[in-house]
Amino acid sequence: MLRVDERVLVSTNQGGEPIGFRWRGGSYLVNAKPVRWFARKEWWVEAARAQRGIGAGVLEVEMWRICASRENSSLAQYELVHTLETSNQNAWRLVRVYS
Amino acid sequence: MSGFVHLNVASAYSGHYGVTRPEAMAEAAAAMGFSALAIVDRDGLYGAVKHIGACLQLGIAPIVGVNLAVFDDDQAELARCTILAHGQNQGHGWSTLCSIISAAHSGRTFGSSKKLIGIKRSQLAAILKDSGGCTVLIGSNSDVGRLALEANKNAASVALEHWKNLFRSAGTLGVEISCHLTEPGTEQSVIHARRMIELADSLSVPTVLTNAVRYLTPDDALTADILDSARHLEPLGVFKLQPNAQAWLKPDQAMQSLAKEITEDQPRAIALLESTSKLAERCRLEPISDCGWGKPKTPEKSTLGIEGNPFEVLWQKAHEGINRYYPHASGETLRQVQHRLGQELITINKLGFATYFLTVADVAQMIRDMRIRSQARGSGAGSLTNYLLGISGVDPIEHDLLFERFLSVERSSLPDIDIDVESARRHDIYRAIFKRYGSQRVTLLSMQSTYRGRGAMRDSGMALGLDEDQIDELAKNMWRFSARSFRGALQTKPELAKFAQEVETDRQMNLLVDITERLDRLPRHISMHPCGVILGDMSLLNLTPVEPSGMGLPMSQFDKDDMDPMGFLKLDVLGVRMQSTMAYAVREIERVQGKIVDLDAVPRDDAETFKAIRTTNTLGIFQIESPGQRELTGKHQPTEFNDLTIQISLFRPGPMKGNMIAPYLDGRHGFAKADFIHADLEPILRETWGVVIFHEHVIRIFNKMTGCGLAKGDEMRRSLENPRLKPKIEQLFRSESKARGYPPAVIERVWSVIEGFSSFGFCKAHGAAFALPTYQSAWLKTHYPVEFMAGLFTHDPGMYPRRLLISEARRLGVKLLPVDVNKSTDEYRVEGDGVRMAIHELSGISTAEVERILKNQPFKDIGDFYLRAKPARRTLENLALIGALDSLTGEGFATTRGDILARVRQLNAIKNRPLGDSMQPTLDFTLLEHLPSGNPEMTTAEKVGHEMSIMKMDVSEHVLELYRPMLDEMGVLRADELVGLRSKTEVLVAGVRVATQTPPMRSGKRVVFVTLDDGTGCSDSTFFDEAQSRCSHILFNTRLVLIAGKTRRTGVRGVSIMAENAWDIRELWQQWQQKTQAAG
Repeated sequence: MLRVDERVLVSTNQGGEPIGFRWRGGSYLVNAKPVRWFARKEWWVEAARAQRGIGAGVLEVEMWRICASRENSSLAQYELVHTLETSNQNAWRLVRVYS
Repeated sequence: MSGFVHLNVASAYSGHYGVTRPEAMAEAAAAMGFSALAIVDRDGLYGAVKHIGACLQLGIAPIVGVNLAVFDDDQAELARCTILAHGQNQGHGWSTLCSIISAAHSGRTFGSSKKLIGIKRSQLAAILKDSGGCTVLIGSNSDVGRLALEANKNAASVALEHWKNLFRSAGTLGVEISCHLTEPGTEQSVIHARRMIELADSLSVPTVLTNAVRYLTPDDALTADILDSARHLEPLGVFKLQPNAQAWLKPDQAMQSLAKEITEDQPRAIALLESTSKLAERCRLEPISDCGWGKPKTPEKSTLGIEGNPFEVLWQKAHEGINRYYPHASGETLRQVQHRLGQELITINKLGFATYFLTVADVAQMIRDMRIRSQARGSGAGSLTNYLLGISGVDPIEHDLLFERFLSVERSSLPDIDIDVESARRHDIYRAIFKRYGSQRVTLLSMQSTYRGRGAMRDSGMALGLDEDQIDELAKNMWRFSARSFRGALQTKPELAKFAQEVETDRQMNLLVDITERLDRLPRHISMHPCGVILGDMSLLNLTPVEPSGMGLPMSQFDKDDMDPMGFLKLDVLGVRMQSTMAYAVREIERVQGKIVDLDAVPRDDAETFKAIRTTNTLGIFQIESPGQRELTGKHQPTEFNDLTIQISLFRPGPMKGNMIAPYLDGRHGFAKADFIHADLEPILRETWGVVIFHEHVIRIFNKMTGCGLAKGDEMRRSLENPRLKPKIEQLFRSESKARGYPPAVIERVWSVIEGFSSFGFCKAHGAAFALPTYQSAWLKTHYPVEFMAGLFTHDPGMYPRRLLISEARRLGVKLLPVDVNKSTDEYRVEGDGVRMAIHELSGISTAEVERILKNQPFKDIGDFYLRAKPARRTLENLALIGALDSLTGEGFATTRGDILARVRQLNAIKNRPLGDSMQPTLDFTLLEHLPSGNPEMTTAEKVGHEMSIMKMDVSEHVLELYRPMLDEMGVLRADELVGLRSKTEVLVAGVRVATQTPPMRSGKRVVFVTLDDGTGCSDSTFFDEAQSRCSHILFNTRLVLIAGKTRRTGVRGVSIMAENAWDIRELWQQWQQKTQAAG
């Protein structure tokens, strides 16, 4: 497993599921139904504010585990974090790669 | 009915767990189109009544359940289950749920760990075995759920089988499927939920989909984090956190998608949703038939010892009261009484409250039979029926009080009758009520304390892991504003300026403000209501779950706001220290003088009593002893009982802010002609010189000018407080009074008075009920000062430290007898024309020591005391220092305090002290040979010094006397000399600071009021800005203060001082001593 923490550009379908992403100059296509879940953040360590109505994004992130491949590479599993904070729209980060 | 229904929703009444108030949750559910909503609080039905009320109002069906720990036979937790009551079965489901919850609390005492709350599975199964009534749902937090998570299919299957075998009755068991979309393979993940379904299907156990809701919106998850921290008593990051923010009230559509995501099978998803709807259908409550909603419940007739029609019994009893309470009344008065009583009884009968009145009368009689002083307070004193039944001690005809303010056919809610009793006997009364009516019919009332400023800040600080001392320091400034507006307060409150700066630079402090605001007003924990008892019939425990209270008796999980909807009769039995004080004084009068005083029969027009009140020496008198009331007494100069009612009602924030006091006083003293606006209002407002003070005034004005009747008049008055209804009332008042021929100018003025009044006024019946103990305590102080002061010392009812009462007693000529180990007890007993100081409040003395002293009295000498009372070293020395051993001088040695002290130190030097419980004296008798003598006597100053440090009281003489030589040389006046001075005389006053107050002022500027006691009475000084700047350090912390200023006359006997400066007497004393020594 490779830990990374890099911004990636993700394209999604209408349901919001990732169908492909660009990372380090390569273009990856998702080949199976991705798995989604929600994880949490240690907001009291990182957040500047937590007032009523700030939104769940301070606490919660959307996680995706996807199987994807580049044109000429083999299939691998990738884990993406999708930040839900309203101020940070469409912020996707690649955090893990399982080969 | 189709559509999803949330069956597992915790409200904020799940203390330290749920986030959203039931009303808000129901409102949102209705807005989202749900046709029903459940409330499932942890461990009880704390929010259930509010939930049902909100659902009824919104037109959705209420469902109620509980989230409860279920134990195995070894008391280990198997699961936390959702248990839902079935509805539409004449209360069978509801009462089953109540008994399950009460059983879950029965093994526990108040304050013990919440982990003990729960029910054994076998017991739960037994309750549901024969007739069902509830559905038990086992979910992911259970033995089954945990085994499913481990993918231990066989073991999970066995575990579920076990449940299934125990809960055989149809519809009593289900598997709760909930999924918070957590990381695959963890609790509440899709896979976990799917395994639960497969497991349930394999054993044919019905499944139900919920979202295990903790909050309304995802944003509330942050608040849930803080509550989790408060529940665990650990900072965030230390304990296991909620996995994400998915536990919110998701809409129908989202729950349908969730079903699909879990099952990955459309037909199975539909079946899951259908079985959920089916259970929801079964659990819809019919509040009236299931919960007895709104139906008044009173003890059965037989319990009250009555036969036949309760109304006839009430009629009879009330009429019997006429002979007792109006023995010498004129024919005219009797006609009035008969007429009024008839009208009241008609109303009571129409409302069906006869049994209610008989019940309250029965309790009042029981309290009297226990020889405990009691007195009704509140609007109930306006009822002649209450007076004739002996519930209230105030004659509503004599005092012109209105029944309609208390009860009318316009309102059908159960009336409130509050009874004040001796505080020291309150728990005895509760126990007697339980005994008399049976514990099936009685429970105590509970109350939910909620997060307020300081508590919210402390728990928020803990969640963030901030330093405790730092938070405590900050929390000290959290007052006079609600935590909800914390951020706003940072900008406006000068005392928060420093913190506001920190917030700008410190991220954690910034977060602290945000989360403190989030916690504000959330329920925190349940406790016993200070005075409420619920009285019901045999069905009471089927309608409310109970749990142990602080005093051991069972307590309902419902609070006072739940009483009316549930139709529960709540009786407020409030402990009042003044009642204990007066009862004590009456007992002492009987013991010492052999006289029996019936306080309630004392004529209410005793001239001596009013004369004493008018001197403004009102310390110790109920309601009128505060500095402000003393000043008002000086201006007002009451001469009759009604004056006391008025004075008590006037001295409220409303009338003071509304500037109602000055016009009243001007009218009373003839400085201004009373303005009644219209001749028709003169009879109504004559007693207050045209000033509208009482609710009763407004009711009568409405009645007079619109002809609406008194009952409707009170409804109109109540509507004034509702901004939505007020315009309608205004319109009604204007048109009706115009139709009755009142000129527009009159209507205009009257309306403006009424409008301005709406937020102020006071119920006259309440004022009169308060005035009674005021008068009675004043009467006792006037005629039996020794006994009354002894009562005050013993029960300490007022706002002042006891040493001020000691000073007042000395001023009254009551002898203050020092503590004496042979004569003192744990009460302040009367001895001749003096009061013997009690022994139990000595600094450091233990209860066991007091008990040994009282048990072994009298003592022959100090050695005897040492051997049999077995005091600790410090106690023995303290007793010697304050002279409590002075009477033990039978050993033949000289008798100065110095000798006694030397003797005590001798004894204290012995190594082997007599042990507390040992029977065997172990005194080293060799020391007895050397009895000390020739030690000097203590000076009075030394004696007073020891008394102050050991008893916090100056018994031998007033503490100021020591400084008299200096004060006399400076020309300092005594407090009782002030009343003879002209206005603007320059004066110096001195004394012990007994109160410093900084009431909020209209101008917004701070004014400091300081009260000093110098042994001749109290002087009150006012410090404005400039004076404060000279000496503010003196005003809040110094004990002995000298004040310079000018007198200001405020009334016949009212004098206060406009202060210019203040000094610490002890500092002046040092300088003065140096000066006199140098001169000498």
